[in-house]
Amino acid sequence: MTFVSLSRTKKTLLAGLVIGLILLAIYPMAATGYGIRFMLQLFMWVALAQSWNLISGLTGYVSFGHVAFFGTGAYAAAILIATHGWHWAPASSMGGIAAVVLALIIGYPCLRLKGPYFAIAMLGLNEVMRVLVSYFEGLTGGGLGLSLPTLYASVQIYYAAGLAAIAASVAAHLIITSRFGLRLMTIREDEVAAEAMGVNTARYKLYAFLISAFIPGVVGGLHARDQGYIEPISVFPLLTTITMIVMALFGGKGTVWGPVLGAVGLFCFQELVWARFLYLHQILFGAIIVFVVLLMPRGILGLVQQRYHLSRSL
Amino acid sequence: MQNGHLLELRQVTKRFGGVTAVNRCSLELAPGRIYGLIGPNGSGKTTLFNCITGLEPHDDGEIRYKGERIDGLRAHEVARRGIGRTFQIIRVFPELTALENLLVVTWGPFDEAHRRAQELLRFVTLDRLQNEYAGNLSYGQQKLLEFARILMTDPELILLDEPAAGVNRTLLNELLEAIRNLRAQGKTVFIVEHDMKVIMDLSERIFVLNYGEKIAEGPPGLIQSDERVIEAYFGR
Repeated sequence: MTFVSLSRTKKTLLAGLVIGLILLAIYPMAATGYGIRFMLQLFMWVALAQSWNLISGLTGYVSFGHVAFFGTGAYAAAILIATHGWHWAPASSMGGIAAVVLALIIGYPCLRLKGPYFAIAMLGLNEVMRVLVSYFEGLTGGGLGLSLPTLYASVQIYYAAGLAAIAASVAAHLIITSRFGLRLMTIREDEVAAEAMGVNTARYKLYAFLISAFIPGVVGGLHARDQGYIEPISVFPLLTTITMIVMALFGGKGTVWGPVLGAVGLFCFQELVWARFLYLHQILFGAIIVFVVLLMPRGILGLVQQRYHLSRSL
Repeated sequence: MQNGHLLELRQVTKRFGGVTAVNRCSLELAPGRIYGLIGPNGSGKTTLFNCITGLEPHDDGEIRYKGERIDGLRAHEVARRGIGRTFQIIRVFPELTALENLLVVTWGPFDEAHRRAQELLRFVTLDRLQNEYAGNLSYGQQKLLEFARILMTDPELILLDEPAAGVNRTLLNELLEAIRNLRAQGKTVFIVEHDMKVIMDLSERIFVLNYGEKIAEGPPGLIQSDERVIEAYFGR
């Protein structure tokens, strides 16, 4: 591909992106309630898959407990809204901050672990958070859950979730195309060599972990407001982590557009299959996981980029 | 710098369980010279490199770089102080391009780093492969890339772990020339190598390890005729 044609391709993609964003911005004016809710959830999945990609796709530290940040953000925002009367927008931002605080506390010891040990520790974190939330009934409502005041704000939350998805994707683009992003990738490639080359891997991992925790924290807050009611099992399900992992892997981990592609493709697929084959969709989802892991470990974009030597930002 | 030494090891010991990999090893390296480290397989050469570079914390003794103790520092801190190394088994970053492999180890302005990286890739004749993933390069090319990556960090002390292994003769001559150039630039080079011709031609002073202990030290001519060295390599 020549420089001129590559530049033209980039311009075409950019134009397509701008048109797509304009269409998404005016979409709620013409959409049905289902359509808005569908897109809102899709935006959330894009943001969640991007967040997982930032820590696991770039550094190779596979987090099996990323939903812990989602749940923590959801509860932090829900408590602020229900108990302290906060507006959902700042409350969701505080959800993100609560998730970052959790990541800071847990990241320091857990990021010393490698491979399956880190994955198991993160899985444990999710369970601990779920139990803690159930235990502190006075604050969280325990197993009975927490109800938020009624509010019809689907359109506003649609825009907020869209903004979260865009922000997560822009953050991914900025990180992946920077030397900071390259250093995160060296951790995935060979952590010992990275250390020997002067990369403070502990610090870089922690930074990536904190950034990747903020996004699901905010999304958790938006989810809590959108649902109007949360309980431990609804915001700490392992399936949410697995879904974001599969989305990022399917699209292409370590790339900017991979998690977007994975989230759009799999969420649409899930909706179509779920509506028609209620019991079959979990099996099909499992089959996709096996297919991706065995035949496409780089995901769709990873394969395309390797084959055509395209930049990770494309 | 104490006593004019760039690096000083005093009674350095490293144990793995019941095995003493490095046993009370002491040595000094002066700046701007090429040193060799030889010994039979399992004699502790790579472990000693790992101790110096902070990848393996040693159990006893002290390591000083420019007069300051560096033992206890983490590997990245040692590297940032000016000690660079290559590995016995190549450790390039396979899913980063050749250019990215170099850019990632610098901290200065990006444009300057980019220019320097391209200069080094030209130097190791990999400039036409700068956008190729390092994992797709041949063994020899990866070896050259790893060497260029070390130069990118501009270290004062360079530890090379078997630089000649698996490299063809033409490439090897270029590599050896590049190492001599480093010395001419005032860098200190410390080489572990099994190819005796390479180490004897290149080194000004050689240290010999056997079962983790330093058994001999001196110029190549002296080492070649040292009874203890001959015994360590060939037995009695």
